[in-house]
Amino acid sequence: MLNYMIYILAFVVGSILGLLYSYKQHGEPFVAVTKINIVALIIAIFGWFLAFNAGNVILSAIGFLLAGFVMGERPGYGRKETAIGLIISVIVYWAMPII
Amino acid sequence: MNLMANILIQVIIAFLAGSLLLGLHRKIMARVQRRPGPPIIQHLLHSLKFFFKETGFPKTASKPFYIGITFILALIWIVGVIAGPVAHDSLLILFGVYAVYKIVEHNSGSSSGSPYGKLSCVRAVLSAATELPLFAAIIFVYLVTGTMNIGEIIAYQSVHGPLIFSIPLAALMFFMLIITKSPYSPFAITKDKVLISGFETEHYGLLRGFMHFSESIAWYVMLWVFLTIFFGPLTAVGYLVGMIVITFITGFINATTPIFSPNHSVMTQITIGAICFFGTILMIFTGVVA
Repeated sequence: MLNYMIYILAFVVGSILGLLYSYKQHGEPFVAVTKINIVALIIAIFGWFLAFNAGNVILSAIGFLLAGFVMGERPGYGRKETAIGLIISVIVYWAMPII
Repeated sequence: MNLMANILIQVIIAFLAGSLLLGLHRKIMARVQRRPGPPIIQHLLHSLKFFFKETGFPKTASKPFYIGITFILALIWIVGVIAGPVAHDSLLILFGVYAVYKIVEHNSGSSSGSPYGKLSCVRAVLSAATELPLFAAIIFVYLVTGTMNIGEIIAYQSVHGPLIFSIPLAALMFFMLIITKSPYSPFAITKDKVLISGFETEHYGLLRGFMHFSESIAWYVMLWVFLTIFFGPLTAVGYLVGMIVITFITGFINATTPIFSPNHSVMTQITIGAICFFGTILMIFTGVVA
């Protein structure tokens, strides 16, 4: 169970960092962002991919930290990036045993 | 692993996972109501914030009782984590935890001396109507599996398949409890907004922090028990997906349903409980359930 605690702690820390970072970047009132932020997208894909497919506690924890960073951004930001990253990592997770 | 370390780890997981799920619940409700909603991490940040806030005491409070009740609340849900995810022990202990929780809810409201708390305390007695379907659900699980032990129930399901397929109405009764416990539930008569925050109204700072801590653990424990006794042996990913799905369903229900008045709430719970109870008995005696 220790590894699950590490994952969830990493996710929480990532989310808090993401929230602080995005509020620093975007101080304006709520905006439903339609554009995809390429940097956030790469972080999300890399994070979710590592989280589910690394097979190693430290790498998975880093993955959850990165995934949490994008998912934890202030409302309106990081939604599409998170969804794309999550979908890709889940597809890879299910496809891995078949391949 | 050392038992104490295991308990500590499971309590931390329960608190963090429960907080994130309640944050997700709030987000889902907001999105259904076409609001942006707070970040998912917000419920956890709220809980942590209260631990560092100044703690005040109302003049009307019965102090030892007023303070002690919050620690008892946290303690009973820690017992819930020990009896459930840690030890896979008897369902009766978890029923006891829920029964004591109702008493604590009642006493928390009365100890502050606030009229809002007192009214919530009276409603806590009425809302004990949820315990009857819960007890009935546990009895049906016992009748089918022949055991109250969670570990043995898991073993039974690994051989005979998940109980949700054999006693779905009992699962529905348990699900009623989950809906009742979820925030902004149509059955949450003890936390009706006409009572401000109900039995929590007059608890501030550290004491409120303990209440939030307990709520998060309670949500996690109830989802864990429901998934474990009705969906059989699950992996960590199975639990994660199951908890998120149930949080989605309750969030959707709560976002679209107004809160009932106390008498309607109790009657609805008892009616659904009675239909499920007699339905399950009928299924058992007609041989639908083996």
